[in-house]
Parts: sequence; C-alpha cells; structure tokens
Amino acid sequence: MTLYSLFRSVRSELGKVCFSQHRSIYTSSPSLGADKALLLKLRKSTGYTFINCKKALEKFNGDITQAESWLHEQAQKEGWSKASKLEGRKAKEGLIGVVMGDNSAVMVEVNCETDFVARNEKFQQLVKDVALSVMAHHKSQRHTGYIKSLVWSDDIAKLHMPEGPSLADQLALTIGRLGENIGMRRAVSLGVPSDWQIGAYVHGSVPGQVGVEMGHYGALVVFKGGSKEGMETLGRKLGQHIVGEAPVTLGNMDDIPCGDSETRLLPQSFLLDPNYTVGQYLTLHDAHVLDFIRFQRGENTSQEK
Amino acid sequence: MAALVGFRACLSALQLTSPGILHSSYKLCAVPLSRRNFAVEAKKVFSRDKPHVNIGTIGHVDHGKTTLTAAITKVLAEAGGARYKKYEDIDNAPEEKARGITINASHVEYTTANRHYAHTDCPGHADYVKNMITGTAQLDGCILVVAATDGQMPQTREHLLLARQIGVENVVVFVNKADAVQDKEMLDLVELEIRELLTEFGYDGENTPVVIGSALCALEARSTSQHSNRDPELGINAVMKLLEVVDTYIPLPKRELEKPFLLPIEGVYSIPGRGTVVTGTLERGVIRKGDECEFMGHSRSFKSVVTGIEMFHQSLDRAEAGDNLGALVRGLKREDVRRGMVMSKPVSIQPHQKVKAQVYVLSKEEGGRHKPFVTNFMPVMFSLTWDMACRVELPAGKEMVMPGEDTSLTLTLRQPMVLDRGQRFTLRDGNKTIGTGLVTDILTAVDEDKHNWG
Repeated sequence: MTLYSLFRSVRSELGKVCFSQHRSIYTSSPSLGADKALLLKLRKSTGYTFINCKKALEKFNGDITQAESWLHEQAQKEGWSKASKLEGRKAKEGLIGVVMGDNSAVMVEVNCETDFVARNEKFQQLVKDVALSVMAHHKSQRHTGYIKSLVWSDDIAKLHMPEGPSLADQLALTIGRLGENIGMRRAVSLGVPSDWQIGAYVHGSVPGQVGVEMGHYGALVVFKGGSKEGMETLGRKLGQHIVGEAPVTLGNMDDIPCGDSETRLLPQSFLLDPNYTVGQYLTLHDAHVLDFIRFQRGENTSQEK
Repeated sequence: MAALVGFRACLSALQLTSPGILHSSYKLCAVPLSRRNFAVEAKKVFSRDKPHVNIGTIGHVDHGKTTLTAAITKVLAEAGGARYKKYEDIDNAPEEKARGITINASHVEYTTANRHYAHTDCPGHADYVKNMITGTAQLDGCILVVAATDGQMPQTREHLLLARQIGVENVVVFVNKADAVQDKEMLDLVELEIRELLTEFGYDGENTPVVIGSALCALEARSTSQHSNRDPELGINAVMKLLEVVDTYIPLPKRELEKPFLLPIEGVYSIPGRGTVVTGTLERGVIRKGDECEFMGHSRSFKSVVTGIEMFHQSLDRAEAGDNLGALVRGLKREDVRRGMVMSKPVSIQPHQKVKAQVYVLSKEEGGRHKPFVTNFMPVMFSLTWDMACRVELPAGKEMVMPGEDTSLTLTLRQPMVLDRGQRFTLRDGNKTIGTGLVTDILTAVDEDKHNWG
C-alpha cells in the first residue's frame, strides 16, 4: 500500500513537472497549444465565435490586436447578413426603455424573440443606445413649446448614436451577437415648456442600469402645477396609475366615472387611493394632466404600419 | 425454487426473441423485451414499470433544441421506446392550459431501457417559471443544448440562471451541430468554455457530462444505413450516448411515496360504537394500520394512533399517496378536528404563519384581475383543504404587481396553517382567482405580523 502511494506521489510530481514544461513551451513558441491559448483569449475578450476567432488569428499570424479589429469589421458584415436572415421572425419580447432629460423625456420599445435575451446585458445596452440616440436627436432639434413625436422603426434606424455609428449598424451588430431577431419598434420623445413637468414610471424595471430605466411597461405623463417638492413623486404615482389601469384617453375633469371599465384617465378611480378619482386627486394636489403615453411590451397597436 | 423460476423465465424470454432482434435493440431494451410484446397487444396501456423522470431542454432558439427532441424520439422509436415526433409537430405545439394558466410548452414522452421520460421544452423564461409554479412538470434535470458552430451565446448565462432559479440541480450538455465543424479542436474549446460557465453558475462543471454530436445527422440517417451519408458516430450514436448519460447522471427524484405521510382532512365523521373517522386524499407517503399520527392546524396540535384504514367501505392495512381514504383514529372526538387540519407523521411538518413564495398572477384573459395590486393587499390563500386570509408584501424595489407577471411575494397568514417548502397554493379575492404560487421559504413571524389585522 505504502509502495503504491509512493508511486502515485512520484507520478503526480512527474506529471507536474511535465505540465510546467508544457506550459513554458506554450508561451515561448507558436505551437499548436499557443494557438489554443490565444484563441481562448481572443474569444474571451471579443465574444465572437471560435471559428471566426481562429480565422482571424490565422489571417494575421497570431497578432491579436489586428485579429481583433478584423473581427469587429467582420462582425458588422455578419450582423447584417444574420439580420436579413432572421427578419420576419416573431419578436414579441423585449424591453421598454425610458430616459429623462431637462424638460424632455424619451421612451422606446425594443423587441426580441425570447425573454432570455431581454435579460441579457448586451440587449439592454442596445435599448440604452437607442434611448440615448433618440434623446440626442431630440435635443439637436431645439424645439420650444410642447412637442410629442412618435417615431417608428425605419426612422429610428436612420438615427445615429452620439458620435458613433447609425442605430441600424448597432442593431445588426447586436443581432449578430445574440442570434435573435431584434426590432426597434417605436420611440416617443416629449419636450415641454419649462413650467410643465414630465412624470415617468417604468414597471418591472431591470436592476443595474444607470440613466435609463427599463422594464415591461412604461408611462410618461405631462402635467402642470403641484407643489415643488412633491413633483417627482406625483409624476411617478400618475405614471404608475397609467401603467396599471391602462387608460386610453384623457377625458374631462367633470366626466362622470363609469365603473371598472372606465378608459378615460381623469374619471378613473386612482390606483393608489381608490377613494378618489384621478381628477379629484389632481385637484387635491392643484395639478393638471395635459397628456400621457403608455407603452406595453409586445402590445398590438393600431397606428403601426 | 425462486431462482429456478427466474432461470426458466430468462430462458423463455431468449426463445421468444430471435438473436438478431435481441442484438439490435440490446442497448435499449434488453430487459423488458418480452413485456413490451404484451404492451403492443393491449394497445395504449400505460405501464408503470419504469421510474418516471421529468427533463427539459434549454438553449438558444437556433441551436437545435427541437431537432434534438425530434432526433431522440426517432432514435427511440426505432427501438420501440417512443413515437416519432416530427420537428413541425413539436415546434407547433399548441399552448396549453394548466390550472387556468396559459403556458407555451411542448411535451414529449419516451422510454429508455431504465426510465420513462417526460420531456418539456418551453420558449421563454416566463414559461419555465409558470411551469414550476403550476407544477405541470417539475424538471428533475435539464439538457443544455449548445451549437458547436456558435459556442455558448451571451444569453446562455440567462439560461443557466433560469435553471438555478427553478431548482434544476443536474445539467447535461449536448454540443449540437458538430457535423458543421471540421476542426476537432474547436469542439474541445466549446466544451472547455461551457464547463467553465457551468462551474461559474455553481454546477459541477468538471464532471458534467458533455456529449458531442449532431441531432440533424441522427434525424436524417436512414434506418437501413446503406444510403446513410451521415455520420452515425455524430448522429444516432451520439443521441444514444446522450440518453445513456441522462439515464445515469440525472438522479431519480424522491417520489411522493417515499416521503412522510400527509393527509389533508376533508371531513370528520363519528361512527357509533367505533369512534371518529377522518377522510381525505392522501397527499403523500404511505399510512399503515397502527402508525402514529399527529393532527395540526387551526392552532391545535395533538398526537394519536391510526387504528384502521378504510377505502370504499373495505378495510385495508396500507394506503398510498393518491388514495381517498377514511382513517379511524384512537381516542379522537369529533370536535377535536375540523376540515383544513392535517394528519401527518409526527414532527414531519409544522404550521407556519409567514412564508416567501413565487407566485404567478393571472392575466385578465386567464380570468384574473385586470388591475395590479400593491403591498397590504389581502386575498384568501387556499392550500390543501384549508383557506385563510393573508396579507401580501411585495419584495423590495417593487411597487406593484401587474396581472400576467410572476413575482416573489412575502405572505403573512392571519393564523398559522400547515405550510411546507414546495407546497402549492392559490390566491383568491372575492370570486376571482388571482394567482397560483409555490412556497419557496419559511419565514419566522414577528410580533407585528400577529396584531396587524385591523
């Protein structure tokens, strides 16, 4: 028995020696193993497929920086071909993204095929890019007064990321990466005069995102008045109500409520305090709602082309 | 004597089947061959001679989950262990309704040499979670499908995260589309990478079986194998190997029969001259005459002994999970117990007041509310045979729950009732079912939980 264990320990020592020698070979000469290590490194840092990484390394004789830049170029091309291949596949999952600015707000919907992808950070980064690009575009227009513009997918694709490629390119890149059909479905940008407010609420929000809120439902509400300090909470509460009760139209302050099936915002009973209607709640806070917009992920809209 | 009989049975089995057939189906059905002949005669009788296991496939949409499922049924169909299901049949599975909840899932069943499998495939995360909550098919193991051409995708992380969330302990990897990759080294790298990822998510990456093959090869291989231009090594053999690995690596789940018994009480009757009988359907375990038992619920608890078991007015010595029975209990008075209490093996289960649960909230279309709810909402919780008012508390960072969502909730009951991890329940409000849930954790109730009932 002792002889056996001795033998084993000797063997394992021997193994270690052999192994370390191998390691040194890997790093010093461009053998098969070195390729493998480089390949793994390239795959880890870029995330492109092993096949492409290998092609790139062969093309540039193992020069990792050149290979990387070639891969990025290649990814763009492959993204486009993948995007055209996947086009038309049903994409009903995805996220709503909301970004707020000074007297402005942008809400976008980006769709994908499975909710697995919607949970992935690469997809979330795309949602963020789209939202910020629409916001940048909105700011560059320098509107005054109240403006609400709804943009559909083809027009969103024409926009450019702030100092970057077009959103269409960025979309193709993401499709190439995630291998699912992805669509930038719609975006709305709001601009208001300085004495108006925009309230926002995103439901089911994804944690860990800075600057952009993302979730399955989103609502923007334009209102006037209210106390200075309670403004943000009021806007959020109104947004929450709109997400929850899904009103279709605004209605009038003196409308008579018609129960649970009410689809006008103002006569609906307020979600967070059912003793009041929304109209009464607003009067209480000395505020007026002027407009609102609600997005639900994957919902059917009549306005779509 | 018994040995002799066994020997003779073996002999007759050998005579029944010609050596050729025996050889071709050796891998799959060496044992139950003669029994299978009976199954063919008595058509469509489900035989319960093999342990049942639920498995699922997860993976990227284009990596061939459905092709693999089709290939498995094809390969097993040739050995008589399945009915061949075409790709289209699996892919176009209609959405099903379980407990009134719509789930997108396709179910396929097949039999290997040792086990019977129900194979589930869902398109999305939400569907798997609904599947877990409603309990249509709790997954005992998972096959992670990764295409050799792409390797793992960024969302493979999300797939493994899901597997963790729905409590899948064992994952087997199938590296698909290996026929499209010429370089053997590539396959090694894909395998290496997936092992690393498995380890990162707390699975045993080093020892997880990884099978390399091509579901398409298996699917397209001709059964006569003369014209087969497809590689059988990557095709049929790989699928066979995968099944073998699933058979051995995914352990048999503990079944209801092996657990301590639990009888939710439906009714109490006193029979003059004999004593008091409690009735109900045995939820799990086995009761024998003379077993010690404990009654619990509605703030009461006491022990006794089962002196008799009856089913359909016939006395029996032993009742199994699923049996609807009446149990005569020593020294029991009719007013001691009421519907909603349970009779269980002593100290196997406890009443609890506060639990954490994963709940699916029904959408309006499924008959649920059309409105969201917020913290302090008070529905009635129904589980086993009891119902009790409870208060809902949303997790931190969540302000409301929309219909059609799944969420984790903290539920506080007005009175402690029998609750166990993994127990299912329904939440109702007025005449509407709001949601279905699964207890994930038992929490200790603090004083304020006990007094805050208005």
